Amino acid sequence: MKTKKLTFDYKYGFSVKSKNVFTAEKGLSEEKVRMISQMKGEPKWMLEKRLQAYNFFLKEKMPEWGADLSSINFDAITYFIRSTNSQVNSWDDLPAEIKDTYDRIGVPEAEKKFLSGVSAQYESEVVYEKVQEVLVKQGVIFCDMDTALKKYPKIVREYFGTLIPYSDNKFAALNTSVWSGGSFVYIPKGVKVMLPLQAYFRMNAQAFGQFERTLIIAEEGSSVHYIEGCTAPIYARDSLHSAVVEIFVKTGAKVRYTTVQNWSKNVYNLVTKRARADKNATMEWIDCNLGSQITMKYPAVYLMGEGARGEVLSIAFAGEGQHQDAGAKMIHFAPNTTSRIVSKSISKEGGRTSYRGLVQVMPGALNSSVFVSCDALLLDEVSRSDTYPTMRIKNNESTIQHEATVEKIGEEKLFYLMTRGLSKIDAETAFVNGFIEPVVKEIPLEYSVELNRLIRLEMEGSIG
Amino acid sequence: MNTQLIEIKSENSKLLFDKPGTYVVFFSNISGKISCKITSEKVELYMIGLYDIKNTDKYTIQTEQIHESPHSFSDLYILSLIKDISSFTFSGLIRIEKNAQHTHAYQKNQNVLLSKGGFVDSRPILEILADDVFCTHGSTTGPLSKDQLYYLQTKGLTKLAAEKASIDGLKSLVYNRLEKLKVKSRKLKAKKTHD
Repeated sequence: MKTKKLTFDYKYGFSVKSKNVFTAEKGLSEEKVRMISQMKGEPKWMLEKRLQAYNFFLKEKMPEWGADLSSINFDAITYFIRSTNSQVNSWDDLPAEIKDTYDRIGVPEAEKKFLSGVSAQYESEVVYEKVQEVLVKQGVIFCDMDTALKKYPKIVREYFGTLIPYSDNKFAALNTSVWSGGSFVYIPKGVKVMLPLQAYFRMNAQAFGQFERTLIIAEEGSSVHYIEGCTAPIYARDSLHSAVVEIFVKTGAKVRYTTVQNWSKNVYNLVTKRARADKNATMEWIDCNLGSQITMKYPAVYLMGEGARGEVLSIAFAGEGQHQDAGAKMIHFAPNTTSRIVSKSISKEGGRTSYRGLVQVMPGALNSSVFVSCDALLLDEVSRSDTYPTMRIKNNESTIQHEATVEKIGEEKLFYLMTRGLSKIDAETAFVNGFIEPVVKEIPLEYSVELNRLIRLEMEGSIG
Repeated sequence: MNTQLIEIKSENSKLLFDKPGTYVVFFSNISGKISCKITSEKVELYMIGLYDIKNTDKYTIQTEQIHESPHSFSDLYILSLIKDISSFTFSGLIRIEKNAQHTHAYQKNQNVLLSKGGFVDSRPILEILADDVFCTHGSTTGPLSKDQLYYLQTKGLTKLAAEKASIDGLKSLVYNRLEKLKVKSRKLKAKKTHD
């Protein structure tokens, strides 16, 4: 089958002229780490943590498994940019260029609809942030991490880096040493946030790595849905995105974290995400990976309390030159814990999707159950799909199930849809959308509409 | 066509299937690597493994089903019964190369933990480079079904007898497969049950 190159304009492939107030030189050194900390006016303990992490980063080797990361040049990346002088609270006060960028992604529209708070990250720092009064009244804290460190140093210090220490992996160390921006969410005991909290992340400078750091703490009996959406303009130079997300779900609390990742296709997206679920708590990751050149991301749930539940629903879409190495980790420590992983991946035009997962059931996690299902769809003969699950079970009162399938779109199904008057593209799009439906129905409407549209755009590109 | 039985006894076995036919590869309580490469069309390969382990036994088995030619079939089934503080590690790869279109490849690993101290590490791996294929794998780990045991006990079996019946039932999954493939399983059967 002859495949056509993508001819349509990349939906979010625009860039606004960068007007940065301060840009650090490229490359990383101890001085630079000190400078970032100093410019932010951080407390001493944070500087020390950054420096420890930096030293670990230097020593630690690159991961020898997973995607090919050999072309990352750490010296060609800018580690810190401050895009405007001070933070602004209302939309009208935003600089015109930044507003223009957001207008095209649709932030204001989205805000009008359902949003309880918009925290839009432009380059390294959050420049626009608005938290509705209701949230403030409930005692919910939703701000960027830099502000949180200034205003709530005690909470940040108590939790920062305790779930993902800098020594976890090379990229967690890199993030800890140069982190900037990201969201801080604190939900007090018993508070249920009805509307989703939302943040857009965006990179807009060439070869500039974005190292945001997100910390979510849901106290006893609370619940929150946090959404992270990513779109980025296309640039020629390689870009690195390496985030760390730590989530604490206390007794009986519920947190859902939704990501729609659509970085431009030159971005290395290397992210460490981990949640801790206490007694009867529920943690859900919904993870859609569409963009980037290489993604390595395995959202994890540590089920620490009895009756805790963890869930990961993920979609990966890999087109030409892309490698989505995504998956999930579930570690069961306590009795009666349950987890479910559902992964759907689609490869086309030589793209490669890999599911990589770990399920571990400790001796104390009696009567636990795990269900893993990975389905892969291959759209042409040059694409590739892999499944690398690991299951370690250390007690005999738990049940663990894993299943995976790989297939292509059935000719008969396509033929049937076409006899009903659908064009080939429509039929294939319908099939792909049906394939990812179990995950898509879990994400808010505006995202699922956008997702379905993106899939259609991708499909149109692939049919000759 | 006759079914050809290959019983694996050495630690590292490299098998090449370059002629059409039905093959059964059988292995039991053995560590090491069994690599099967299919380079011919119309190969029907069944890999069947049975692990019945106890005490401080430690078994690590690695299998490969490598399809280099189109229109072939492979099916792996491994059952492990784990007693005492024994441990079983399985890592199985299905790799379908670019030109191996119209391949059907399956992989199933069932582990039954019969004691508190047992340990299972299961890694079924797929690497699929062709698109027109059917490929699935599954892995389950758990104790004997409590419902089944309860049912058998309501019929008057002692707990021990119910457990034995369940275990025998699981083992018959392996033997039935072999019998279906017209492999004389009596010879195999005698050897591996060591209690």
